[in-house]
Amino acid sequence: MKPLTPLQIKGIVRMVEQTRDREFNCSECQSFVGEFAERQLAGLPLDEALARVEHHLQLCPECREEFLALERILRASR
Amino acid sequence: MQMSLAIEYAPREPFDDSPLVRWVINSELWLGVLPGAAMWLAFCSRQAKLPGMVTSEINWPEALRAADNSGALAELRGILLNGLRVALRDRSDVSEAHLEDFAQEALLRVLDRLDQFAGRSKFTTWAHTIAINTAFTELRRKRWRDVSLDALTADGKQLAEASAMPGNALGEDEERSRLVEALRRAMAEKLTAKQRAAIAGELQELPFDQIVALLGTNRNAAYKLLHDARRALKAHLAAEGISPEIIRTAFAS
Repeated sequence: MKPLTPLQIKGIVRMVEQTRDREFNCSECQSFVGEFAERQLAGLPLDEALARVEHHLQLCPECREEFLALERILRASR
Repeated sequence: MQMSLAIEYAPREPFDDSPLVRWVINSELWLGVLPGAAMWLAFCSRQAKLPGMVTSEINWPEALRAADNSGALAELRGILLNGLRVALRDRSDVSEAHLEDFAQEALLRVLDRLDQFAGRSKFTTWAHTIAINTAFTELRRKRWRDVSLDALTADGKQLAEASAMPGNALGEDEERSRLVEALRRAMAEKLTAKQRAAIAGELQELPFDQIVALLGTNRNAAYKLLHDARRALKAHLAAEGISPEIIRTAFAS
């Protein structure tokens, strides 16, 4: 493995810094992401569970990619 | 003034002096135009109700569980297909045939998981999340690379070595060097080989499902493995007196 780039090291540190004791995993995120997307598009406040969705999306690039796709669909449907 | 403007801009009777229109009216040719106009109106009306734009209050779980659910299935399949067209419109590697396959597969998964719909969002939103996950999981599979668990484990081991993460990797600043050193020590002392391998996979931007497969586990267990690793690293940095504030300051410039 090549030496890590400064960007990769910063990425690890940033993920460590954002770590919380309790986090949603990908399945839990998927259970709530529909409601999260609808409420966010409507400008409605988020409860604790939805705040955890938001946090998971910051840490998980694949769930974030899927959320952005969902957001695109919901915007087109409005 | 208003009056004069109104007069000036008052619309004229449309085509009131057009010889062509007068000829059409007199010849009763317009009667032939009516069916076409009716079809056009019907088309526009259908367009407004296209799947994906539906806001109806259909009880989808009930409709899909009904003995004759063919209409609901066709409607939902159309909604999912349209959603996927929107979601993946920028992907040049995705054809209409792919979209059809994803929609069909997603429809089966929706039916399979019908009992899991908790009503926290609209049913169609929930179904779209399943369709998107189905499509992206398949598309990411094409990015899987030829990597073995042994290679990933070896890469993970290197994360704890100075060659992969030299103390001056972020510059000669003392705080940054201390941070990098502490991180490397934590990698060596606090993480398991599996955790280091998973982090190495993430750094190489392997699809998460490939990391999961290489580790021989499932997605949730792999997420927990990484979560535990991040918590261990965070705890170690805190024990070394490296607070989030110090981290933010180190990255500020």
